[in-house]
Formats: sequence, structure tokens, C-alpha cells
Amino acid sequence: MSGMLDSGTRLAVDNGDEVEIIGMLGAGGQGEVYRVRTAAGEKALKWYYPTCATPEQEAIVQELVERDFDDDRFLWPESFVPAHRGSFGYLMALRPDRFKGLPDLFRRQLRTTPRALLTACLYTVEAYQALHSRGIAYRDISWGNVFFDPATGDVLICDNDNAVVEGDASGISGTMKFMAPELVRGEPDARPGTQSDLHSLAVLLFMLLMNHHPLEGRRELGIHCFDEAAEKRLYGKEPLFVFDPADTSNAPDPMEHATVLATWNAAVAKLQDLFVRSFTTGLRDPASRVRETEWRNALRAVLDAVVECASCGRENMTEPGENPPPKACWGCGAQLVLPPRLTVTTPPPRAQHDIRLRRAARVQAHHLLPEPARHDCSDGSLVAELVEHPAKPGRFGIANRSKETWTGTRSDGSSQQIAPGQTVPLRSGLELDLGGGVRAVVRAK
Amino acid sequence: MTLGVRRWDTMGESVQGVGKRCNQDWWACEGTGAGDEPLVLAVADGHGSAVHARSELGARFAVDRFVGLAAAFGRAARDCHERGSLARLMAYARDDFPRALVQEWRSAALGHWDRHRPVADVGTPEPEAAEKLVLYGTTLVGAVVTPWLFVAWQIGDGDLAVIGHDGELLRPLAPAEEDLGDETESLCGAQAWRAVRTHWAPLFDEARGPRLVVLSTDGLSKSFASAEGYRDFVVGLDDRLAAEGADGVRAALPEWLRQASRYSGDDTTLVAALRPGHLALEADHKSEQKTES
Repeated sequence: MSGMLDSGTRLAVDNGDEVEIIGMLGAGGQGEVYRVRTAAGEKALKWYYPTCATPEQEAIVQELVERDFDDDRFLWPESFVPAHRGSFGYLMALRPDRFKGLPDLFRRQLRTTPRALLTACLYTVEAYQALHSRGIAYRDISWGNVFFDPATGDVLICDNDNAVVEGDASGISGTMKFMAPELVRGEPDARPGTQSDLHSLAVLLFMLLMNHHPLEGRRELGIHCFDEAAEKRLYGKEPLFVFDPADTSNAPDPMEHATVLATWNAAVAKLQDLFVRSFTTGLRDPASRVRETEWRNALRAVLDAVVECASCGRENMTEPGENPPPKACWGCGAQLVLPPRLTVTTPPPRAQHDIRLRRAARVQAHHLLPEPARHDCSDGSLVAELVEHPAKPGRFGIANRSKETWTGTRSDGSSQQIAPGQTVPLRSGLELDLGGGVRAVVRAK
Repeated sequence: MTLGVRRWDTMGESVQGVGKRCNQDWWACEGTGAGDEPLVLAVADGHGSAVHARSELGARFAVDRFVGLAAAFGRAARDCHERGSLARLMAYARDDFPRALVQEWRSAALGHWDRHRPVADVGTPEPEAAEKLVLYGTTLVGAVVTPWLFVAWQIGDGDLAVIGHDGELLRPLAPAEEDLGDETESLCGAQAWRAVRTHWAPLFDEARGPRLVVLSTDGLSKSFASAEGYRDFVVGLDDRLAAEGADGVRAALPEWLRQASRYSGDDTTLVAALRPGHLALEADHKSEQKTES
């Protein structure tokens, strides 16, 4: 579809450059996105629908461009493209192909893993936390704005043109499904901001992990047409969590909502408890909503506790820490056999990370820090990983992938140096000095 | 911006496949395309095999329910140029409309089953709802057009072809990978709404909207040796409409579909809507002006 701009059209950019339209990439709720040719290579141009091209929106985009926010997790407006035939737009980087939209995930058109989804959740939380820590409210958190790499969990947040400095006016108040109930109800004192972002974030995390909206249970089945009053009731006036422990009148329907029943059962209490708080007291009391740091701590702990089923190989979440409750595999139903646990203890302010030593388990740089500013599960930050002995299948060791030489102490008191690239056999009671005051201990359970 | 009432020339036809027990396709073409009377086009193809013994009814339920929902959606889009409305409409079109459609279709199919239970099932256990729905399995391609919006949905095989104001042919709902053989997504599938594909295209300049919209069941596209043959057919249809007008094509359409059906061996159905000539001419005029400048 040609959209508002034809291929070949040339537009002036505020910085003096010129862009040429190559073709349309897609249409959304506020405008269209085009692939454009610029002097610096191909970029994406967001072009507002005439009804959305307001002076207020222009001011927001200009402010965002001037802010020059440099963060690889966001496709941030880079240059303003002034008015042409009643509209305007901005340039941003093109979204790499490896990043996929969440609607594709929900339609089962992507292959991914629980680890990748948990990683995507963790990265998403940290990305919004980075915005909020700079006093910017995003105000449009929804599944249309977050893209993720199904292999790694890397995230890319797009459509950042509604993010404004806390307290400023923004053109939109969010998508109703993701809007905080007080905004849906239109309460006079309620304004979109960091507090309402926390509700939207909880909805997004629930949808990522559970593949379903947290307020769409049996009650939603009666809504068959585009009915604003019914939507307001569902998301604002009478919101009720599908797993509300005190009221089951909006529980999932076994036939219509089979997915969320399965995904909820596959989750662990550490996350379920946060979701219950988000969508019970958090619906009524914005101050009690789950903060980003709580989400981050829970998600990283659960990510470290993912294990593979010995029977079918599927990844399963388990309760983090010592002696988790027994759990059956979500895929085949076999009882999960837990591998040993590596407890990493950081220097003060002392923090402990429990990593289940599943096949190819990894210690990352963020495990060595008490309060990492950002988690990174990529190879670039790898410190150690569990490897199988090349000649003796079934025997495992911890390989040093860092640049530090470690000191290992066995339970009998003997010790050895483990240089970068070397591997130390996995034994219960093995203690590792990973350098910088970080210690790790292998525990059987 | 011109947002007045506009009308479309429409046509639709369906022919039964050779040797078929009955025509398991269904279609509809309703409305003028005005703001309070959206143009709604739909075709459905009942799966037809023995396990889908009532699929001709399933196809009819799919089209009928789609027409009702899509017309309501199109009317709700009248105020879509108000601030925030487009974002909300898009979210509904993409996320909620497919679920509403599947629920409506299931309700119609299960209601029919209740009223028409097999006579010889005394003593046999009541089938699960999912088993009943399989009897009615069908695909669906549907679109709604208003002066401000063009939105389309598809589940399973079949085709939506659009000729833009500039003459470019697009198939916005074509899957990245074609279904293999006769396998297809279906309204009777578990969580079928997940398989619904959506095309969303707000219109801000009436003259830049599509000039021809064609929906067809796979009996048509399968009659060609390649996807190129189908594309040539749609381009040829556009050319003949320009040369002979809608009446000439309308008269010839049944024979074209009969020929296609002879090649594909399947029921074959097509609905099409042609934008009035003066609007198309206006778009051409604008394109010329742009070229000159």
C-alpha cells in the first residue's frame, strides 16, 4: 500500500539533509513508517497521520530529538522532518530483522524459549527503568512497541515519540488494554506517568510470559463488538485479575483460555506473587504497584533457575534458591531433576545469586556485581560456563571464560589455580575465588 | 481532504466445483462504502472433506458473522479522526476483532449443532465442542472499506488482492510461506484467532485509496500454474474493468470462474469492488502533477 507518501518523494530534514522515500514498511495507530534513503545510509521515517500531526506532538518530537538519548535498547527519534502536505515526522534507525513483534509471538509464529522470554522481560524492565531514572515517562507501553530477538531475548523499544518528561503533557494516554485503571476511568487527578507506566509494564510482562492479558477472563467472553463502555468496565471500572485469589468470577475459561491456564502453571511463585500484587492491590492503589527493581530481582533470579527436563529437554522455570518445591515438566509431565547450584556471593553490599548448573549454564559479568546497572546475557560478558568433558560424556566442569585466574578449593581443602580458558571439574563443595572479592560455591541442592 | 460519501461498483459470483456434492463456498458484498454504510466484502471456503461434513454451513456462518461485525466496526470508525481513535481502532482490529469473530462463529456453529444433532447418536457420548466445530471447518477472507479506513482479515487460504491508486498490485495478507497442499488454517482450529492475519490501512486522501479490491477462495488461485498467473488475472481484471466497465465484467465473471473451477477442481468464488472512475482519475491527475513537478 502506498500510504501517504509515494516512493521517490524527497523531504527536507531539519538538520539540512534530505531523505528519499524508498517504500512503506507499515502503518500503525499514529502514523506510517517508511524506509528512506539518507546520506548516512537507509533509515526509518515515521510520518504522522494528519490528525496526529499536532503542534503538541511536534513539540514532543523536537524535545526528544534534542535530548539525543543514546541507548541501544531504544529506536529514538534522531532528526525532525518538518511539515510537508499537512504532516511531519522524524528519522530513526531501521529495526534489524532479528527483532520480532510480540503479536507474532502470540500467534505462535516464533520459536523461542522460556529463557529467552525471561531475558526479554528482564531487559524490558531495565530499559524502562533507564527511562524512568532520567525522569522520562514512556506513556505508551504496549505490545506494539516492544520487539525482541526470540533467540537471545534482546529487546528493542520503538515508537518512543510519546515519551515525555514527567509532568509534561503528552498527546496520548496509552492503549486501553495497557492503561492503568485510574486513567481508563478518566479520574480527574490521574495523569499518565511513571506510576501508570508500572501498571502497563506489569501487563506487558504478563503477556510476554503468559501469552494472555491479565484482565481478560470469563467476563471478556461476553464482549463481542467494539464497545467502549464494556472495555472501560473490563480495564478500568471493574478490573479483575484472571487469577485473583479472592474472586474467581473472572477466572480463565478452560476452552477459550487454555493457554494462560498452562502458562500460569508453568510459572513459579516468585513471579506469580508479583503478578497477583500487580493485579489485585496494584489495580486499586498505584503506590503499591511492583517497582522495576522488584521485577528485575525476581526475573534475574528465575532466569538463573531455569532447568531442562531430563526426559524431554524442554526448559522449565523452577523456584530460585535452596530446596525448591518439586515440580513437573510443563511439556511432558515428568518430575524435574534439579542439577547442582552455584552460589555466587559478591563483595559488600553483599548479594547472593543462585545459578542452577543446567547444561551450558553461564556465569555472566552481572553475577559478580551486587547491583548491576544492566544485565547482559551475551557472550561478550561471559565469565564462566558449564562444559561437558570432551572425552568423558556425563562429566562436567566449570570453564573459566574470564580474563582473571581463579583459585579453586575442593571440599578436602586442596586448591588449584584455574587460568583463563581452563576448566575445573564440577564437585559439590568446590569453592571458587573469582577475583575482586567474588566467591562461588557449588552445592548439591 | 475530501471525506464525502463515495460508492463502489461491486460484483460477486461463486461456482460449484465439478463433482462436488454442493458448493461449500459462501460470499457476501454489502454496503456502499459510505461512512454510515461501510462496504463489507467476504468469501469463505468450507473445507469440504468427510470430517468437515457441515463445512458449507460453516462457511456461511463465517461470512454472515463477519459481515455483522465488520459493518459495526466500520461504523465505529466514523469518528476515527478524533485524537487517539485510530490507535484504539487498530488495537481492536488487530487484537480483539479476530477473537470476537471466532467466538461468534463458534456460537453459530455450536448453536446449529444443538438444533441439528445427528439422528443416530442415541447412547453415544456427547462429543466435545472442539469435535463439533471440526464439522463446520472453514477459511475466511474479509474486508471493510469506509472513506477513512481499509481493513482486512484472513484465516486460512484464499486471496486478497488490491490495486492501489497508482496501479500497483499488492497482496497484503499473503502469508510468508504458502500452506502446503490442501492443509490450511481454519476457524475450527484451537485458538483460531491466533491464526488470523490483519491488514490495516487508514486513508487520509480519498484519491489515494485502493481502486480495486478482489477477494477470492483458493479455487481461483489454484487454477493457475503459478502465483504469477493469479497476479496476471487480477491485473487483467483491472484492465477490463477500465476498458469495459463493471457491467461487462459482471456478465463475463461466471464463465471465468467456471473455467478456473475446471482447472482447480474446486468451488471458486470471487467478490470485487471497484472504486468509481472519477476518483481514480483524480488520483492519476495528482500523480501526473507530481511527476511534472
